[in-house]
Order: sequence, then C-alpha cells, then structure tokens
Amino acid sequence: MNISGILVMVPPEGTQATIERLQALSGIDVHHIDAASGRIVITQEAESIAAEIDGLKRIRALPYIILAEMSYHYFGDDAELLETIPPELEDEGLDTEAVPPFLNE
Amino acid sequence: MDLTRREFLKTSAATATATAAGIQVPAITLAAAEQAEADVQWDKSVCRFCGTGCGIMVGTREGRIVATKGDPDAPVNKGLNCIKGYFNGKIIYGKDRLTQPLMRMTDGKFDKQGKFKAVSWERAFDEMEKQFKKTYKEMGPHGVAIFGSGQYTIPEGYVSAKLMKAGFRSNNIDPNARHCMASAVVGFIQTFGIDEPAGNYDDIEHTDTVVTWGANMAECHPILWARVSDRRLSNDNVKLVNLTTMSNQTSDIADTEIVFKPGTDLAIQNYLLREIIKRDAVNQDFVDKHCVFATGPYDIGYGMRPTDKYCFDAEKDIQAKELKVTLDKDEAIAQRRKAGEVVEQKNTKKPVKHWLIGFEDFKKGVEPYTLDFVARLSKGDPDEDLETFKAKLKELADLYVDRKRKVVSFWTMGFNQHYRGSWVNEQIYAVHLLLGKQCMPGNGAFSLTGQPSACGTAREVGTFAHRLPADLVVSNPKHRAFSEKLWKVPAKTLNPKVGSHITKIMRDLEDGSVKWAWVQVNNPFQATANANHWIKAAREMDNFLVVSDPYPTVSAKVADLILPTAMIFEKWGLYGNAERRTQAWRQQVAPPGEAMGDVWQGLEFAKRFKLKEVWGEHTVPGLKADGFEDGKLPSVLAEAEKMGYSPDDTLYDVLFATRENRKVKWPDNPVSKGHGNHIAEKLGDGWFPEKALFDEYRQFGVGHAHDLAAFDVYYRDDVRGLKWPVVDGKETQWRFNEKYDPYCAKGSGFDFYGKALKALPGGDLDKVTNKEKTSLAGKAKIFFRPYAAPPEQPDDNYDLWLNTGRVLEHWHTGTMTRRVPELHRAVPTAVVFMHPDDAGKRGLQRNDVAWLESRRGKVKAVVETQGRNRPPRGTTFVPFFDEGVFINKVCLDVTCPMSKETDFKKAAIKVYKA
Repeated sequence: MNISGILVMVPPEGTQATIERLQALSGIDVHHIDAASGRIVITQEAESIAAEIDGLKRIRALPYIILAEMSYHYFGDDAELLETIPPELEDEGLDTEAVPPFLNE
Repeated sequence: MDLTRREFLKTSAATATATAAGIQVPAITLAAAEQAEADVQWDKSVCRFCGTGCGIMVGTREGRIVATKGDPDAPVNKGLNCIKGYFNGKIIYGKDRLTQPLMRMTDGKFDKQGKFKAVSWERAFDEMEKQFKKTYKEMGPHGVAIFGSGQYTIPEGYVSAKLMKAGFRSNNIDPNARHCMASAVVGFIQTFGIDEPAGNYDDIEHTDTVVTWGANMAECHPILWARVSDRRLSNDNVKLVNLTTMSNQTSDIADTEIVFKPGTDLAIQNYLLREIIKRDAVNQDFVDKHCVFATGPYDIGYGMRPTDKYCFDAEKDIQAKELKVTLDKDEAIAQRRKAGEVVEQKNTKKPVKHWLIGFEDFKKGVEPYTLDFVARLSKGDPDEDLETFKAKLKELADLYVDRKRKVVSFWTMGFNQHYRGSWVNEQIYAVHLLLGKQCMPGNGAFSLTGQPSACGTAREVGTFAHRLPADLVVSNPKHRAFSEKLWKVPAKTLNPKVGSHITKIMRDLEDGSVKWAWVQVNNPFQATANANHWIKAAREMDNFLVVSDPYPTVSAKVADLILPTAMIFEKWGLYGNAERRTQAWRQQVAPPGEAMGDVWQGLEFAKRFKLKEVWGEHTVPGLKADGFEDGKLPSVLAEAEKMGYSPDDTLYDVLFATRENRKVKWPDNPVSKGHGNHIAEKLGDGWFPEKALFDEYRQFGVGHAHDLAAFDVYYRDDVRGLKWPVVDGKETQWRFNEKYDPYCAKGSGFDFYGKALKALPGGDLDKVTNKEKTSLAGKAKIFFRPYAAPPEQPDDNYDLWLNTGRVLEHWHTGTMTRRVPELHRAVPTAVVFMHPDDAGKRGLQRNDVAWLESRRGKVKAVVETQGRNRPPRGTTFVPFFDEGVFINKVCLDVTCPMSKETDFKKAAIKVYKA
C-alpha cells in the first residue's frame, strides 16, 4: 500500500472544475484547497508504485493542470514485498552466495 | 492496514503537502498528523539524484526507511519533490543489491576469465593490493587510475583524491562529472578566474526572462522548472524562451521555442553579441570598469586521439579531422576564411591559450553573424519557414537587450556536451557581461548541473586529473606547495603532471598504458561514448579492474573484482549543489549484508601501503616541470623521515588517521544524535572519519573565497545547507557583487576577483602580437569564439542526427532508478524518438524495433513517433538509462578539446528495420 501527498496547481478559475474531476478519480481524496492561488492538496492511495506513477500521469493529463508533484510518500507496508526472494534468484542452481546471474552471463 | 491507520496516514500526507504549499492547516489536523507519525523518526537529508539539491526528510522505523517527504524548510524545493526524489527511500531496497565482494575465480584463484564468486573483504583487498603493487612497480603512478564521480559525497571524494595524489602520487583520477560539466568549469575559469556560478536559484523569482539553452528543465530539473512555471504564471510580463534541437516538455509552457541545428548555438550567440553592439545596448560603464576582451586559436582539434591505430575502419574518416579540417562554406564565413581551405590543427595540445584583444577586434569578429547568415545556418526544423525562424531570433535579441528586462540564461548538457563546449559557455557569459546583466538578483548566466555533488565534490574537492581542492591545480608549483604543507607531506610529493581525463583513462586501458583501475560511484563502462572499445579493453587486455557498486551494472559486469557498496542513507555524507549550497545528512539505516561505504573502502586500502612502497623515486613519462628532473618524480622518503614519519608508516596513518584527526571522536560525538556510523564502527579505532576529513578539507578554502562552514554547522537543525563562501557564519547570495559578496574590494561595485589566468599577452583576432603580459586583476573576460562545424554530421550513409539524454523517471545509467521495478515499468525500454516522416521513409511505424547504426556500433530500440520528445525531421533522440539499449556503443567520443568533455549529442546514424 502506497499513500502519497500530491500538490496540484491550476489557474484559480479552474479550481472548482479540477476538484470535481479529481474527486471522480479512484484512490484520490481532496484534503485542502486554496482557491485564490489554485492550489489543491490531495492524497492518492494505490496498490503499487507503478499504479501511483500512472495515477500521477492521469492527474497531469487533466485540463488546467499546471503542476502535479508528489511531496510525501509512505511505503512502510511494502516491507514484506521487498523482502521476498525474487524468483530469478531462487532457481538457476546458484550456490548460497547468490551471485546475480547477469554478472556471469 | 486497518482503516483508521490508513486515514491517519492520509492526514499526515495531506498535512505535509499542504505545509509545503503554504496552505494553512487547522491545529487539530496537525495534531492528528503528528500522532500518525509518532513511531516514525524523521531526519533532514538531501536527494540522491540530480544537481538541483532538493532537501528531503527521511522517515525511518525499526531500522528501515518507511517514508520520505519534500523538506518544507529547504529553500531549494520548499517541500516539493519530483518523481525521482520521491523514490529516494526505495533505491536502497532493490532486490539485486550486492551484499558481498565478488571476484572472478577459477579453482579458488583469481582468474580474469573466471566466473564471479563471493569472497571475503580480506580476500578481495589481498588481490586488489597484489595487482596494484604489480602494476605500480612495473609502470609507476601513471599505470593506475580511479574513475571518480560527481556523486561522491565530499568525504568520499576527498579520501580518493588524497590517496591518489598525495599517497600514490598519481593524478590519474577523474570523475564522470567530466562528462557532465567540465565545459562549464572551463567557462568559469576562463571568464572569471574562479569556478562555479555567481547567482543562485532565487534568480528565478527575481527575473522576468528565462532563456533555456540545451536544457530540458521540465524533465531534467523539474523542481526548478516548477519554480520557473510558478514565476511565469504569476506574472504576465515574464517570458520564457526554449532553445533546443527538438521540441520537448520545456517547450510546453515556453512563450517561444527556437529549434536550432546541432552546433549552431555558437553562431546564434554571436548573432546576439553582434545585435547588442549594433543596437547600442552595450552597458559601457560595466564593461569599461569590469571587463576585457579576449580570444584564442580555432585550430584545436576535437579531443580525439592523434592516431587512427585504435580506430575501427569506419571511424577513420572522422578521426582524420583531429589533424586536418577542410572548412565548409559556413565556417569560412564565420571564421573570415575561404571555403575549402585545409586547416592543420596546430593547437590541439594548447587549446586553452588565449590573449587580449581590443573592442574593435571583437566587433570585427562578430560582424559576419548577421541575421540572414545565422538564420540560414541555424534553423533546425526543415519544416519551419525561414522568416518565422528569423523573427524568433530577433525576438530573442529583443528580450536580451531590453534595458528594463532582467534575464537569466540556464543551460545544461546542450552546452556542456559539445565539441566546442567551453566556447559556448564563454559566449553566454559574453552576452550577459556585455549587457551588464550578470551577478545580480534576477540577472545572470547560470550553469545547471546534473549530479548531486558535481560542484560539491568533483569540482570543489578537485577529483579531476588536473585539480586539487578549492580551485588549486597540480601544474602550479605554488598550489602544490600549499597543498603539501596543509597535508603535511614532503615537498615534491605531488606529481606536477596532469593525469588522464576519464575518456583518456578508457583509451589508456585500451592501449595498455593503464593496467589497474578502480571505479567508484559511477558506471563508466555504460556512460562513456564509443563503448565497444572500452568493454573490449576491460575484458581482453592484461589489466585489473575493481568496481565498487551497490548493484550489478554494466561496469560491474566487466570488472574483475566487485566491492559491494553502501548507498546514500546508509552512510554520513555531504553534497554540494549547483548554487554552491553544501548540504549534509546522517546515516539513517545500516547497509545490507557486507556492503560498506566508499570512505571505508579507501581507508582500508590505504592501510595496505607503507611509505617506502610509494614515496620512493618514480619514472613518469612526459613529466616536465621546474624543479623536477625530466620524466622523474624524486624520492621524498628522506624528507618524510625528517618530518617524523617512518618508511614503515602506512598511508592510512600518514594521510587519514593522523594524530589531529584521531581527536575527532566516534562514538559519543554530539552531532550524531543517536545515529550510527557503520564506517567509524567498522574501523573501530575511535575516530569519526567523515567529520575529521571534512574539517581538514575545508582549510583549503577558508580565506580563499571558497570558505565552507565547519562540519557541525551543516548538521544543525536550523540549517538547510549554506551557499559558499560562508564568511562570519553568513552565506553568499550573489558573488562578485559588492553588495552581497564580502570578497569584493570596497567601493568596487563588482569585483571579478578570481585569480586564475589573469595575466595575458595581447593580440588581434588571429594571433598574439605583444607577448608582454597585462594584469587583469578584478576583471572578467568577454571572449570572441567563432562558429565551427561539428566534426561528424549526417551524410548520405549515416543520414540522421543522434542526440542522447535523460528522461524524467530515470536518471543517468539507471543503476538506481531501474532497480525500482515499478519505475522501470513506467519506461520499460529505451526508445528512439523520431519524426513520423523519418520513420515512414524507412518503413518504420511507432513501436517497431529498429537498428540504430553509426561508424562505431549498433543497437536496437523501439521507435517512438508521438512521445514527449518531438525531434524535427532529420534528428533522433535516445535516452541513455537502459543497458538494454546501450546507446553509448553508437555515440562518438569527440570531446571539447579544452574541457575534455564528450559531445554525446552530435553523432550521425542510420536507422533501419530490425
């Protein structure tokens, strides 16, 4: 589970329309709005970091968007995923010292 | 994850982001956010990636990084992060991290043809030492080399440079930063007599015109681009112009995009200089008081070898230009010569020499660069109308010369990676100096950098073949004497002969003149142009190659010994960014397995050398310097004994763990605040190497206009880096401007006090006419440099330009970013960006696989005709992050002859269906 904080900037006149479009996207919550400067703070929740990047691209593709940058990223619960032994290291008949196969190809 | 916890984390994320954006958050929300993060320990740090130097906060829990956020207190990024910055916490957890030394072995013995096997550190160092001593004995200091880095932390670069220069008495250490900003350095030294920018990032908020030259800031410096965008959108008077060889994302919000032909930036800048004079826009008072005019020889070659002995057959026609060039019709106009004239390249050995000229000569030099000539020469999009292009050039001149307008010019690799990279750098300063728009808030030419410590380490520490710390150079006897005294080593320990630059180290491996090399914090076998030669040299020649790496890279693959290396937040470090800002971080987590930091690797290796093994007499072919016998470095052992050293002392004791440095204690150092230091702990002899060595190193600059603060200052909670020179605890915002820079002479207004190359003979545009040298103390130089044609251009056979560079999600050779599997998927395979008509003509469609072939090699890539980079007809672009599309096999290793920086942006290729 990845949770990120994203700052979205739009021209002030596009703020309301953008909020509505953002709210229609999955995994997005709108938290703070500064209509005068066209700044919108959202969080995005995604299953994987790939999904998060795609999610950010999806935001950038909306009308009015000047800027959409991540500012905060939580990935604490990735630990289990990161610590599993990747399949490419499990077979190959490697000795216990697991030299990455790429090096000896 | 339960819902409550998730909601809490979202509150934290939103609160941190709102704070970064300057949005008020209710106190109750703040309290909730704090509670959600109660078990996360936050500490300030710096982004691992580009030269922008964004501040990030790193959150750890139970010895693991669990969160990162843009540092709201960091003046550079004010809480924002780009995609790369965002992944700082992920790069150290790649699944294929190397965690133990690996050596090529057969039957338990080292064998260059063997397979990699895990070995102990002891065994690794034993072989490394044995191989080093064999080569050092046979060939002397010039037979060994280090491939250094602009990603070294400051202490890492300092250990390697001191070990190499003062210990092994070799100047064969050169960083990958040579590929990145060496041309910028030459521009600074030639123009100002001192390295690094006058201005800083705050220029963005002060200016009303931003001109980008060969810098795709939107993709490569996104956080700075966010500041530029913010400035542009908050003020209608602000104008952005993007000069580029292809349409890119930076063009998207630019008011004007100027697509020019590769290499013709030389001509466009001369057009601007001519216009400034014609329109009477010279700031005469500024120029009279603070500037002089200068020029140098044109026949300086292209940084290739003087022989075709090592060339593939197909390369020979280009290599021949190193000796003789036939001027084309445009060069003839630009250089006031005749088309077809054959010019012998007589100044390849002394390309940086230059002399003073008068203003009238300067005027004569730029006179041929009329709008008609320059527009015809430089128009880069064959589908653009010439008159439209002319209007854009004229508009560019309008913006620069407008007295009411402030202008900042930014550039990156488009200028620096250029066969005349030093010239284009000098030219942009010429434009700004002639207008008097330099060194003041919102006005200035500003060189952006690509690596996190290209400035802080490669340049300031001096991990180059010709440099010592704080702008000192090995060829200057006074600089050597100063360094020897500060380092407490005997006079004449330092070698006065400039070593091999990074591309030359590769060439040295190929011709057998270097037989032992150590790669540190970079991936040169993927990042050096014309790579087929170097891969072959590494694997087939009699040499020993050590690669320190956290991941199995192309360089690791061609190594004989791989040392597993600690990464960014696994160690203490400091970086220096592009605006002279030095920033620091603590070790946050322990490195995995047996991986160890580069500082430890250097120190541990130093323990294996006694003075008597390195400080005796050495033969150094080509050494010629006052006070030295030709070709010889004298023994300094007798002098060393007089200084109280024993011939059996190790380099570790003499250069690093000195009595003074051992007084800086670990553990129990107040700056540690409970953080570990795996290096000090493994050394186990009670000192704190990073702090002791930094505080030793800073003595080079204090009082010499390179003042850094003490180590502890950078770790204070209220400090987010400081821009040097730091004088009386205060950083310097704009250098050379009396109002801001304490080094300026009182009453000077502006003072270009840099000391290098400040006495010159006089002459005209072609030659020296008066050998007597005039002092230019306090002045900057305005150079005339002519247009010269790229040595390789598209022809009937190789009919397209090839340009290479970066994309947003990946960084350089991808060693780190490709390790985040999800990030890899975002740009799965490097593509060749090309115009749909060029693709169509070759029977190619989007997503087809094509061969890209040059005189030097070929690779396959996927055709992209609709991407974010949109080259004009005739041009292609390939990012260089992917070892699967090893584009440097195709690139040309031409360098700027002055800076020795490779031109990765102008090769000729053919593209056909695979």
